[in-house]
Amino acid sequence: MEGALAIGAGLAVAVGALGGGIGQGIAGGKCFESIARQPEIADQVRTLLFITLAFIETLTIYGLLIAFMLVGKIG
Amino acid sequence: MIFASSYEPLFHIGPVPVYDHIVAQWLVIILLGTVAYLATKNMQTIPRGLQNTFEAIVEGCFNFFGGALGNEHAAKKWAPLLVTFFLFILTNNYFGLIPGAGTIHGFVPSTADWNITATLATIVFFVVIIAGGKNFLAHLFTPHWLFLPLNLLEQVARPLSLTLRLFGNIFGHEMIVAFLVLMAPFLVPMPLVALGVLTGLIQALVFTILATSYMADVVGEGH
Repeated sequence: MEGALAIGAGLAVAVGALGGGIGQGIAGGKCFESIARQPEIADQVRTLLFITLAFIETLTIYGLLIAFMLVGKIG
Repeated sequence: MIFASSYEPLFHIGPVPVYDHIVAQWLVIILLGTVAYLATKNMQTIPRGLQNTFEAIVEGCFNFFGGALGNEHAAKKWAPLLVTFFLFILTNNYFGLIPGAGTIHGFVPSTADWNITATLATIVFFVVIIAGGKNFLAHLFTPHWLFLPLNLLEQVARPLSLTLRLFGNIFGHEMIVAFLVLMAPFLVPMPLVALGVLTGLIQALVFTILATSYMADVVGEGH
């Protein structure tokens, strides 16, 4: 049972971080593209990027919280 | 650790238990209040020193969040609250970076407790309803009354995601630093603590920007 909990905790972070990482990579890359094309809108794009990254990161953070809960159950 | 009930209260006021995070919040309120009092005690037309710094911070935040609201009347009314959110969360986040934090009672980032972030998110929830008024009800029925269940679900999901985002980021950061300190007490956790400066600022900013955009949804374009 404890082994399953440990594997679950690891998977929660791993899978969550995988999706979030891909998403943030795409968002960041597109942001750099648009700034390189139109440097004068860099400020607006940066603000939007931070909000977007925060949204994506939330999903990963959900996974992290689940992992912490599962680890708490093991001890 | 995730739930406040799993650790001991610091002391009791009557039947009410008082936890570390509450004391940390009091400290933040006293700190911000004292600085604000000192900055405005002896106000001058041409600001100098502390007054100048404080005016720059408050005016910058005010213009940023007020501009994001997009409605001048609403901005005058609600931007003070948003700026307060920002400064309060920022100071709370940075409380964990003070040397001695975590070992001395009361010196904890109180946003690492989900009760506190849930409180902030609940305030945002009700403020959006109050700020919107009739517009809020109309907003529930856009673009068509068929969307009512979806819109209601969105309203419920907002405070939940606001709570968990702020709490998860600060709590996760605290836990990672704690693990690293256990494994290698010297120098190794330093880059992560430095990252905490960035995380604290971004999370305070994101919470407030989201609250602003929720509010901007319902206050309308203005007159």
